[in-house]
Amino acid sequence: MTMRLFGLLAAASVGLSGTAFADTVKLGYQLPLTGETAQYGQDFRKAADIALAEFNKSGKPFTVEILFEDSRSDAKEGTTIARKFVDNKEIVGVLGDFTSGVSMAAAQVYKDAGMPQLSQTASHPDYTKISKYQFRNIATQAQEGPYNAKWMLSKGYKNIAIIAEQTDWGQSVGAGFTDTVKAGGGTIVFSEFFNRGLKDYRSLISKIERAKPDAIYTGFFYEDGAQFLKQVQQLGIKTPVYSTSAAYSPKLLELAGDAAEGVHLTSNFLPTDPSADVQHFVTEWKAKSDGAVPGQFPAQAYDAVRIMLAAVEKAYPNPTREKVRDALAETKDFPGVTGKTTFGPDREAQKELVKVEVKGGAFVPVAD
Amino acid sequence: MIDPYYLQQLAIGLSLGMTYALMAIGFTLIFGVLNVVNFAHGEIYTLGAFAGLVLISAAAPPAVAVIFAALAIGALAGFSLERLAFKPFRRFTDEASLKSRAMRESTLLSSLAVSIVVREGLEIGFGSQMQSIPFAYLINTPVRVGPVILVTGDFIIFGVAAAMLVGLQYLLTRTRTGLAIRAVSNNPLGAKYVGIDTDRTIIVTFVVGSMMGAAAGILTGLYYGAVFPAMGFIPGIKAFVAMVMGGLSSIPGAVICALILGIAESMATTFVSSGWSDMVAYGFLIVTLIFFPNGLFGARRERV
Amino acid sequence: MNGSELVPLRGGWSRPVPLLAALALFAVLPAVLAGFDRGYLYQIANLSLIFVLLSASMHLVTGVAGLLHLGHAAFYGVGAYTAALLSSKLGLGFTATLPLSGLTAALVAFLVALPTMRLVSIYFAVATLAIGQMLYLVMLNWVELTKGPNGIIVTKGLELFGFSLSGRLPTYYTVAVVVALCVVAIGRLSHSYYGNTLRSIREDDQCADAMGVRTVRLKMEAFTLSAFFAGVAGSLWAHMTGYISPGDFKFSESILILAMVVVGGLGSLPGAVIGALLLILLPEGLRGLGDFRNIMVGLVMFLSILLLPKGLFGEVSALDFARRQWGAAWRRTRGGEGIGWR
Repeated sequence: MTMRLFGLLAAASVGLSGTAFADTVKLGYQLPLTGETAQYGQDFRKAADIALAEFNKSGKPFTVEILFEDSRSDAKEGTTIARKFVDNKEIVGVLGDFTSGVSMAAAQVYKDAGMPQLSQTASHPDYTKISKYQFRNIATQAQEGPYNAKWMLSKGYKNIAIIAEQTDWGQSVGAGFTDTVKAGGGTIVFSEFFNRGLKDYRSLISKIERAKPDAIYTGFFYEDGAQFLKQVQQLGIKTPVYSTSAAYSPKLLELAGDAAEGVHLTSNFLPTDPSADVQHFVTEWKAKSDGAVPGQFPAQAYDAVRIMLAAVEKAYPNPTREKVRDALAETKDFPGVTGKTTFGPDREAQKELVKVEVKGGAFVPVAD
Repeated sequence: MIDPYYLQQLAIGLSLGMTYALMAIGFTLIFGVLNVVNFAHGEIYTLGAFAGLVLISAAAPPAVAVIFAALAIGALAGFSLERLAFKPFRRFTDEASLKSRAMRESTLLSSLAVSIVVREGLEIGFGSQMQSIPFAYLINTPVRVGPVILVTGDFIIFGVAAAMLVGLQYLLTRTRTGLAIRAVSNNPLGAKYVGIDTDRTIIVTFVVGSMMGAAAGILTGLYYGAVFPAMGFIPGIKAFVAMVMGGLSSIPGAVICALILGIAESMATTFVSSGWSDMVAYGFLIVTLIFFPNGLFGARRERV
Repeated sequence: MNGSELVPLRGGWSRPVPLLAALALFAVLPAVLAGFDRGYLYQIANLSLIFVLLSASMHLVTGVAGLLHLGHAAFYGVGAYTAALLSSKLGLGFTATLPLSGLTAALVAFLVALPTMRLVSIYFAVATLAIGQMLYLVMLNWVELTKGPNGIIVTKGLELFGFSLSGRLPTYYTVAVVVALCVVAIGRLSHSYYGNTLRSIREDDQCADAMGVRTVRLKMEAFTLSAFFAGVAGSLWAHMTGYISPGDFKFSESILILAMVVVGGLGSLPGAVIGALLLILLPEGLRGLGDFRNIMVGLVMFLSILLLPKGLFGEVSALDFARRQWGAAWRRTRGGEGIGWR
């Protein structure tokens, strides 16, 4: 309810302002606020609001405004919004979208218009290759896959099964991981993709078990992850499960309960991190969401917004799209809640990863 | 000796099919009387699950009370759905309208519009994310039967589906209400002429069918431990397919076809990648329809 | 028929008013848009036009021939994928991919129609649903060909025999001309003796069969033709957006197109156009409502169907309209009443 009110207020303020402050810089944020993936978009908006409020309170010579537009995770709407943002001459940078499909379609518009686009989640391997205007604040599987592969090999697992969702992201999960396992002397005994939103994984799990893997590496988001883990437990299977940072969400623990116990995954955001920055974000987040702890994705969005704000600040006064793009490209060691972020020449974020295990119903960082 | 792996896959397929069957029963009943696809049945299913969820988080009552709450909401939703989306289209009684294709498709689309409003409303009210259900309520404790592992929910869902099927057969064949439902389903105008209150009969059918849909929703929610606004979509399609495959008019046929679909999906996972398993289920449907153009258990050729 | 009674056709169009109005709309609209310098409006105009074509093509199969089609978006997808693959793998331009997309979609439709066209009513509907889902699964899972969920980037924009048409105004005109030509073709088909035969199948296929109409063959033709136009729409979408992925062609898109046809008026071509415009423009226009806009879209759809169950521009009005406009062109004998193009 509070979330909705906040959204309405944000929308209302967007409508009212424009002429009120002379020094207002505008940003666009396209994200799914309705539809089946709305939960992610709503989280991003919440994270962006936190980041924005902080920025505007910090006594900068100008204020920033973010225009939120709902794309419903639909490429039709995504490209239309992209045109709308491009038309608005005041908008100097765009954040989003959530799914790669929509981000990719919108990126075609931003490419032609020369609008910097920073996505907090787009994971398509070709996304940043579209043009020099596409950035993302997410550890790609090209980085995370080998990291996890080495981790699993170091634990002595030789025969590894991979399953991932049938999305562009899931495809990259398999690709990034397999090579390192093979190079390290391991074998991929099973590799398959499932359709997102599959409810019953038991057939798949039985099939995996028949391949007798030492461990299972999985690429899923928390919803699918929770179903998978619960059903692994139901079938009495004890094979260790490893996963990626995409599954790192308190909702995973909430939905899967003790079935999540012993799952290993990586992350670059730990809400338990004592640093002031992280604690500030976690406190703000809790205040806005009935005490819930933020997961990986909201943290990425929070950082993405702050990186964008920092770039706008660097490009100030008279920020233009081109100046904001250049400022974004220069981002180096940005101290975010998801670790330090540096954009390489390929406009990919290099992230530091942490190993995490679920112990006693909580994510606990582990050394190995 | 059969590989226990296949037995396990068969069991999984059966339990998957059973969840489709739960939904298909109510769906087929409603289709039977009006001859119109009720696109909103999936939302009734979701509403049932949410009703149970709200009650659980508010009062933590015994599980039976949760089911009754879902049934009550289902009955209410079915009643309102009929009044809102179906009744208004029966105001046109002239022959041209009765035969008109546009009218038929309009009724179908009006239920679709209602389902959009309900789903969007649930998304705004509860958010699109999966809501978790307290673990004490879940019905997925593993049970080992010989070489096969099942969960308690499989038995409960089997029991409920069987009870629904038997109860419905009893209602349809042994009671006056059931007789009226069958009469309306066979020939609405004829039923009216012999003095059956068709309006009331249609409402009763909707209420009964929607109660079953809502019960299916909450049971599946407890079975998988997740409730979310879009949860009714896939089972809705599967129930629709099962109903048509079974021949529209036959409820046991729909149940059998739901089981076939479930088994086809889980067995297909053995031989092809999981992403393709739906392909086998749909392929099965097409092949069935080529050889049995009126479904497996359909008797009459429907005249449009 | 006695040849001496025939009067020569008078140029085809008896009353040019609607045609001129449409032309004026097509010509004036971009001029207005150019004044605003808003790419957003072009985007919406192009998107609406593509959906007008999709909705018109569905009108042919569901409205005129009466086949409830629940998998139309898949043929749209087949067209889009054909265009994307031909242009990214073989380097073909829009001029070549446009007809090839239509033909490929028509071919696929023909092949799937062969075994299923004898099914009637809801059995046919569920078969199209299954076919649509199967085609979607192919786009999603056949990674070697379609790149699966990664989608395809289409680098070639709109062009005609090598001339680039990629600016705002040229893009709009290309889309508008292609869509207008297709809609006119669909209009000729549905207001002709051919269309009337399809309508007779819709009303009573057994009766039509008894009268000597080859129902199965005609239904197949309607189904294939409609897929052709959907494929053309797919090609427009692929070249216009520059990136396609399977998510654009889901079941929900089929339902959206069906909703357009029904809201506008089943069996009415102007209705299909109005329905498409309404369901594309309404969600955009309601953006100000924030998260509530889709509820409003559902409500508007519900009320429109409730109050006007035969559509915003029903079939009877559409036929009257067509007769008023083109009745004279149809009349081949002196004083005779024409009922459509031959």
